[in-house]
Amino acid sequence: MAASKNSSEMKQAPAALKPLPAHAWNRGAAAHLLNRAAFGGTPGEIDSLAALGPEGAVRSLMGRRNLPDTLPAPAWTQLDLATRAETLRAMRDTTESERQKLQRERQREQRQQGVELVSWWLRRMHQSPDAFREKLALFWHGHFATSSEKVREPLLMWRQNQLFREHGDGEWLNLLDRITRDPAMLIYLDQAQSKMTQPNENYARELLELFALGEGHYTETDVTESARALTGLTLDRLTYEARYNPRKHDAGRKTILGHEGPIDPWQLLQIVAAHCRSAAFITAKLWTFYAGVEPTPAVAAGLVEAFEQHDRAFGPFLEVLFRSEAFYSPDVVQRQIKSPVQLLVQACRQLERDLPPPTVSLQVLKALGQIPFAPPNVKGWDGGTAWINTNTLLHRHNLALMLVTGENSLPALGRGRKGGQRRRGTPALTAGAGGCDLAALLPPSLRSKPEECVAAIEQRFIGRSIHVQDRKALLEFAEAHTPLDDTEAATLLRLALCTPDYQLC
Amino acid sequence: MNTVHTRRQFLKQSVLGGSLAATVPAFIASTFERLQAGQDRGKEGPILVVLQLAGGNDGLNTLVPHGNDHYRKARPTLGIPSPAVLRLDDQFGFHPALKGFKSLYDEGHLAAVHAVGYPNPNRSHFRSAEIWATGSSSDRVERHGWIGRYFDNACAGEDPTVGIAIGRQQPQAFAGTASKGISMERPENYRFVEGSTGRNRMDEDEKHTYREMAGSMDADGDEAGSGGTIGALAGGGVVHPDPRAFLERTALDAQLSSDLIRRVTTRPSAGGSYPTTAIGQSLRLIGQLIGGGLPTRIYYASQGGYDTHTRQKDTHERLLRELGDATHAFVKDLKAQGALDRVLIMTFSEFGRRVSENASAGTDHGAAAPLFLVGGRLKPGLHGTAPDLAPERRVRGDVRHSTDFRQVYATVLERWLGTPSKPVLGGTFTPLPLLV
Repeated sequence: MAASKNSSEMKQAPAALKPLPAHAWNRGAAAHLLNRAAFGGTPGEIDSLAALGPEGAVRSLMGRRNLPDTLPAPAWTQLDLATRAETLRAMRDTTESERQKLQRERQREQRQQGVELVSWWLRRMHQSPDAFREKLALFWHGHFATSSEKVREPLLMWRQNQLFREHGDGEWLNLLDRITRDPAMLIYLDQAQSKMTQPNENYARELLELFALGEGHYTETDVTESARALTGLTLDRLTYEARYNPRKHDAGRKTILGHEGPIDPWQLLQIVAAHCRSAAFITAKLWTFYAGVEPTPAVAAGLVEAFEQHDRAFGPFLEVLFRSEAFYSPDVVQRQIKSPVQLLVQACRQLERDLPPPTVSLQVLKALGQIPFAPPNVKGWDGGTAWINTNTLLHRHNLALMLVTGENSLPALGRGRKGGQRRRGTPALTAGAGGCDLAALLPPSLRSKPEECVAAIEQRFIGRSIHVQDRKALLEFAEAHTPLDDTEAATLLRLALCTPDYQLC
Repeated sequence: MNTVHTRRQFLKQSVLGGSLAATVPAFIASTFERLQAGQDRGKEGPILVVLQLAGGNDGLNTLVPHGNDHYRKARPTLGIPSPAVLRLDDQFGFHPALKGFKSLYDEGHLAAVHAVGYPNPNRSHFRSAEIWATGSSSDRVERHGWIGRYFDNACAGEDPTVGIAIGRQQPQAFAGTASKGISMERPENYRFVEGSTGRNRMDEDEKHTYREMAGSMDADGDEAGSGGTIGALAGGGVVHPDPRAFLERTALDAQLSSDLIRRVTTRPSAGGSYPTTAIGQSLRLIGQLIGGGLPTRIYYASQGGYDTHTRQKDTHERLLRELGDATHAFVKDLKAQGALDRVLIMTFSEFGRRVSENASAGTDHGAAAPLFLVGGRLKPGLHGTAPDLAPERRVRGDVRHSTDFRQVYATVLERWLGTPSKPVLGGTFTPLPLLV
């Protein structure tokens, strides 16, 4: 969109974000870009990016919007209004027991659709050539965190996800406007329930605190006044569209962030988006997501400058970020703790294997602490070291086993309800995760050469040398079992995927 | 099974420990020996169980001021009718769903402190939870948690099981210089699974299967109600200067604790029946770990869903019932174990809610709220100064605090855990006469 008009070489990047010179570009830089801007890849994919140079590689990763989409959304994402009206009518005009039965059926259907939705998104991350867009959608999902546990309706979760996919690289005010009118968000933060007489503060507060300005940059009065400004905005339960009813809007005078007037929802968003904190807030958060560390003051200032230079559009802004030398500094590279989604998707890409079946993937992500469409709260996932504790780390180690050999130690997931009865005796082990192709990853020709085995693993999975002590241990293992049979090769791979280095990207 | 042998074998074979074994073998051996011996050591010494009510519990509908006209006026639809309240005296009583708390109160095992909070209250879930977790003032940002500083100051040695959090996330309260404490969701999965040996089948506890099946993809198996915006609140992540070293340390803690935990939890539990709710199962596990004699000083569990902006009535009722019933079952278990005198349970929530209800049959974020202590050695009853609900006495429509939460922490640190509170809280807070 805006990216093509405002071509970035017409505008010089701020000094703190000066571009990485072409001579500093190498395979390691290409791997870093692919890890962070997308979900990593195979040695071959890294090599192709490396051949393009820094500018070409960033352009290539970000310019895949118009490639054919081979992963269409599930059929139920198309809302049939007639059916919807019929369902609502049936629910209304029936007995209490019949209504409860219909509700139970609907809940079962929603659970099934919820699993399909997560699976669909994971497949996009795993297979779509435009993985950059999926990664950006993941950022926005964590930022405008909304959970299906409250929203319930997978269709609305899908629509919000599409919003991030379609507008996540667009302009800031446009995105704020769309998310404020997003049906899932209207439900999640109770705007759909807000009334003029006593407005609900939930959305107003999080808009200021978590979405646009940050804690400490507004007053409690700003929250209550913003809640007044948002009144009249609600949700049409039939069409699942946002609806604005001026007669239900509190048109009285308000004072918000120093602005006075009969502020309506759209004026509120303009005030918020134009506030001096909002550019700093959102750009620092994007930097932290992609770079894995908070920006230094100089970088933070550069980010704001680049954002303003590009008319507050995220696509061109991210192009500056991904090309900046600062993004490839030693403080950034290989120092980010992979999120569970990153770990799962990246490992499958590197192992050149399919994702585990949908319920198994969900079960893994639940154990690791990141269920897409179900963030723990409205702040999203804290990320960084919060991903790691003794519990999640053991699960990461066991995930490595499952992805390499297919052995899954996690208990089965899902409600075993059938006709009101809970099914008993569901096997504890979920089969069918499938292993990887060991012969392709560690070919027989390498199996009797321990040093080359370890080097091949490093090149594919870490992108540089594994920490010296861990490398020594891997090497000793390979030497002790040379030539490696399939079980031993699998164990070697699995152990490499358990190293601290592999948790980082 | 020879645990020492398998552990050493594992440390030797696996790169996880391999890297550390090569650099600090003595440290591993000594810690490991102590962990083996720790099972007897844990039989004495006080235990604190922290129970977080995430989302902001409506204190006014928990410990209900049923005789108060201001309460009636502020809560025309959500107010609990006087006859329904489980009366403690002429002024206060429990929400009708809190039968568990009422029994504990009648048995002399429950103390409530009125209007606990802090000056200049913050209405952000995350900021206020952080203030409670770190024990800071509302104008100062701290990263380390008050429990983490307790570990740093009072718990020498390298034992990671000094603190155990039940759940997928490590609470911010545990963050400290030494980063002690472990997190565990389900003990049967708390282990490194060795591949291709035929030993990767689990001894599946039927109750856990049931719970998991009931849970589906929900975070904690709860029916998400109107309070669903805050399912869990772990607190902000602590920035670690060296992520790799942090990963290494955590991997070691995981290994060192996993066998021990699993050995303790595979023994049959003496504790009778617990509710199948998430909080019930968390407390059941804690009861089992206490019975196993772990050297753990602090256990931490969380119950989410208290952010009741809309349609509060049913959600809040369910949450309180689950809380009361689970706590009651836990106390019964501890009594049967003869451990109740060693255990103190403390609830907290990041804030209470607005005195006046909103127009969506819910309540918005507030300030001070009652805090509950449960145990065998406390002064039962209501403590502190009851909140004045007159509109002109509220702070921005909220309950004004009469007891600083750090006074409760100081009480627990000094009079329960037996350690000076000043180094932990970074200031002097007067303990309260809550314990005997």
